[in-house]
Amino acid sequence: MIQSITKRDGRVVLYDQNKIAAAILRSLEVSGDGDAADAARVANDVQRELESRFTGDAPNIETIQDTVERQLMNHGFNAAAKAYILYRANRTRAREANTVLMKTIDEITNIDARISDMKRDNANIDGNTAMGSMLQIGAAGAKAYNEMYLLRPEHAKAYREGDIHIHDFDFYSLTTTCCQIDILKLFHGGFSTGHGYLREPQSIQSYAALAAIAIQSNQNDQHGGQSIPNFDYGMAEGVAKTYRKAFFRRLKDAVEDYLDIENADEAISDVIAKAEKATGVTAKLENSESFVAAVAKGLCESFALDSDKANKLIRRAAERAYKKTDRDTKQAMEGFVHNLNTMHSRAGAQTPFSSINYGTDVSSEGRMVIRNVLLALDAGLGHGETCIFPIHIFKVKEGVNYNETDPNYDLFRLSMRVSAKRLFPNYTFLDSPYNLQYYVPGRPETEVATMGCRTRVMGNVYDPSRQIAYSRGNLSFTSINLPRLAIDSNGDEKLFYEKLEAMLELVAQQLLDRFEIQANKHIYNYPFLMGQGVWLDSDHLTLKDDLREVLKHGTLSIGFIGLAETLTALYGQHHGTSEELQEKGLEIIGFMRNYCDNKSKEMQMNITLLGTPAEGLSGRFIRMDQKRYGKIPGVTDREYYTNSFHIPVWYNISAYDKIRLEAPYHALCNAGHISYVELDGDTARNVEAFEAIVRCMHDHGIGYGSINHPVDRDPVCGYVGIIGDVCPRCGRREGEQIAPERIEELRRMYPQMPAFQGIE
Amino acid sequence: MTAKSKNEKLGQGVGFERIRRITGYLVGTMDKWNDAKRAEERDRVKHGMSKNG
Repeated sequence: MIQSITKRDGRVVLYDQNKIAAAILRSLEVSGDGDAADAARVANDVQRELESRFTGDAPNIETIQDTVERQLMNHGFNAAAKAYILYRANRTRAREANTVLMKTIDEITNIDARISDMKRDNANIDGNTAMGSMLQIGAAGAKAYNEMYLLRPEHAKAYREGDIHIHDFDFYSLTTTCCQIDILKLFHGGFSTGHGYLREPQSIQSYAALAAIAIQSNQNDQHGGQSIPNFDYGMAEGVAKTYRKAFFRRLKDAVEDYLDIENADEAISDVIAKAEKATGVTAKLENSESFVAAVAKGLCESFALDSDKANKLIRRAAERAYKKTDRDTKQAMEGFVHNLNTMHSRAGAQTPFSSINYGTDVSSEGRMVIRNVLLALDAGLGHGETCIFPIHIFKVKEGVNYNETDPNYDLFRLSMRVSAKRLFPNYTFLDSPYNLQYYVPGRPETEVATMGCRTRVMGNVYDPSRQIAYSRGNLSFTSINLPRLAIDSNGDEKLFYEKLEAMLELVAQQLLDRFEIQANKHIYNYPFLMGQGVWLDSDHLTLKDDLREVLKHGTLSIGFIGLAETLTALYGQHHGTSEELQEKGLEIIGFMRNYCDNKSKEMQMNITLLGTPAEGLSGRFIRMDQKRYGKIPGVTDREYYTNSFHIPVWYNISAYDKIRLEAPYHALCNAGHISYVELDGDTARNVEAFEAIVRCMHDHGIGYGSINHPVDRDPVCGYVGIIGDVCPRCGRREGEQIAPERIEELRRMYPQMPAFQGIE
Repeated sequence: MTAKSKNEKLGQGVGFERIRRITGYLVGTMDKWNDAKRAEERDRVKHGMSKNG
């Protein structure tokens, strides 16, 4: 007689045959194999078998389950036995997932982020803070759930084993990646953050402050970065409003001072209103002749001034208003940059990932914005620190800022001077053919803009009349472990392409599955992104509409990593070494792009190809592949796979050749791309050399590029530049202290030095 | 003033900040980078300005 059983955790509990019968009945019902009477008969046989085998000891759970499986088969309930086995396997997986989850949470809770690589997976989340840890624990729980319940088994397996990487997997069931916020559309008429209503801003200071709030609010509705594609055009309107007010005030002051009168408010505002009505323009940084004439005429009539004097007063007012506006704009841009580096989002664990695009607005107001935001970037934060956010992206366009005779060429030059010091701006090139095809002069929404690391959203298969950057973004992306496909093909090119096509198909299916989840959400799930009409066409939705149709303006992107290692595994060398291998590289990426285009056509959705920004991924895939294949020279023998289509970072190549070889991949990767050139500090600070690189990128058809160079800072003396072992300003080595007298001496020489604590 | 900076007066124990581009955005000092990206950064070589390599 069986009295007791041993549970998995070692506890001994009373034996209960009913529980066994109930489990058997469940399997019989699922498979449609039998009823309660059948279950009772099988359970009796299970008990008989257990009694014959266990005379004194308590059988354990696993043995009992094995016996149930056997008896189900003995009775001919094969389908029920199968269902029972599946149920057991699922329970085991869930149990294991729970164990892994608990271990992960344990690591998040107890291990210092400096030691735990997992906690540094994303460098912009501080895994040592309370909110950062909470975010990581939530992510770990969501991932375990998503893998268990939302993924098809074949997708879960591919993800688990490192064939693919599903990015932002913790947000799988929750939201989409990113958006290009049309800041003007948002501001017009005012907007609500969900915590209160904000009126349409009326000065450049409020334009800049509200732009930061818009980025912060939208970031809370999505898991990726936020971008403003029209920063110059958008802020220009705020500059115009500030100037108009300043011109009125300065003109009033000038007239009152000259005539020694008071309370000219009404008369002046009347003069300006009439002039605006007569000419159809308002006061502008560069006032039109007709406007000035109309104001002068009004002043003569209302204040009995002669025309000469009136014009003089107007000129003076205009000059002063200009200065005031420039000052306000500078402060507004400084405030904006400071805000984006200090404001918190996502439960305080991150600063928002933010990008701003500018460079093409040639109006005086737009130019004032561009100049001042560049100067704010140049100045750095309170102690001269380099700003991490926002990412600045300068849009380069012939006829606008690229040639010496172009109206914004001076700002292009300034941007390079700043980038040589601060690493930003990066450059996006509107003349590259695949960008130029969308460009319509006078319609800034047709200028390609970039968000975050590299995401690009422009073409629109779903709605070809809306091939614009504004109000759209990426929905989700998944990356393929390209080198593994190559290793598994053993140099067989045909086999590689077969495997690649199958993998593309698997990823496309997974992206579409994820889209199904996203499509069934509603505007109330995204109170800002959808509720405030930030996303294209979301302003036409009602509360009961799902998001399916409007989300189709976004992109589903297939990414990849390690083209260099893939080529090495297949052909022995990477694409930096010969033109033949460059051709092979372009064939592979071209094949992937072609797949995406066909899939887009088939689905009438935007399936695009991404040169993945591999941060956490660069190590994840290769660690798994080293376990699988060992260290294959040139393929798995480093700690990282090479980013997207890049020439390996360790390979000696000229800047010119690197740009020439990487540019054709930009044309293929329509979901986003970036190329970097590494310069030594002295070259980077040589603006001519810097410009030569940027022009080389432009002329070769790079889409998005940036120049890397060392930017170091000594927080003690505030020196920013290149620091080897010894700080060139204060002469200390890392970690060394320096004498108070020396600090005092330095402070006299460099008044901008940070007030480092501990000095009296 | 933070407790940390009090204890590190005059620079004792204070390192240099080294800002680098990670994938497109910047990260304020490299101690937050994961191990693979640190290794990648270590391996980066400078690119020369000549057209012939």
